[in-house]
Amino acid sequence: MRRLEELRAEFDERGVKVLTVSVDLPEVIADRRHLHGLQATMLSDQQLTVTDKFGLRNQGFHSAPGSEEAEALPVPATLLIDKTGKVVWMDLSPDYQRRSDPSVVLAAMEAHFDIAGD
Amino acid sequence: MEGRGSGRATVKPMKTGTKIALAAAVIAAVTARYWFYLAAEVSLPTDRTGFVIVFLGAAALGVYALIKRTSWLGAIPAVFAIVVGAFLPFTVSVSTQIVERESVIEVGDAMPQFTSIDGQGQAFDSASLNGHLVLIKFFRAHW
Repeated sequence: MRRLEELRAEFDERGVKVLTVSVDLPEVIADRRHLHGLQATMLSDQQLTVTDKFGLRNQGFHSAPGSEEAEALPVPATLLIDKTGKVVWMDLSPDYQRRSDPSVVLAAMEAHFDIAGD
Repeated sequence: MEGRGSGRATVKPMKTGTKIALAAAVIAAVTARYWFYLAAEVSLPTDRTGFVIVFLGAAALGVYALIKRTSWLGAIPAVFAIVVGAFLPFTVSVSTQIVERESVIEVGDAMPQFTSIDGQGQAFDSASLNGHLVLIKFFRAHW
């Protein structure tokens, strides 16, 4: 999250709304917010309802057969949505430890969100 | 030449039961290999009926081979097919790995509408994003 914060100026310049979705409790999100200082809307998606709407539940992570809840997590993914509400770019990885590098996100924003393309 | 010819003639033709046993073992082994490949790729299908039918079919073929009488060695593939074919449907039915790839959002799709709660416990409606450029990040947890 701190790494995403590196792009704060780039988001502001383009008027990009930043939204994060995790299974963290609201208390945890509130608690951590001051640590990473990210000015984003951080959603608490404990039941994975938002995650499921995007089809991003990582169903491969069950610690054992039958443990439905234990490891239910979103697939790490970063999406860019244009002003018409269409997905214009997406980066997702089945490896939950991998994250979109800020430089990758910046390149995608330059490709899809810049005024020339508007 | 003659010696080779007569040597070949002494080899007993494979019993029908042994042939069936080998076929059953191959079906069981190939299907099992494919199943574990899909499991490793985290792409097991939601509907596993086909797998169950093939595994049980291989097991049934193994039993049929034994009934038809196999050679002593021919019983090995038959038993293998029965064990694999009878055991794997159990694994297939209990495995909770389900990936609905078709439902995964793709570039060009419209963003689904949703509601949630934010870090302040406030209600959030995705309608508030309409007309804006948006970056959405899904992640495992804060760390």
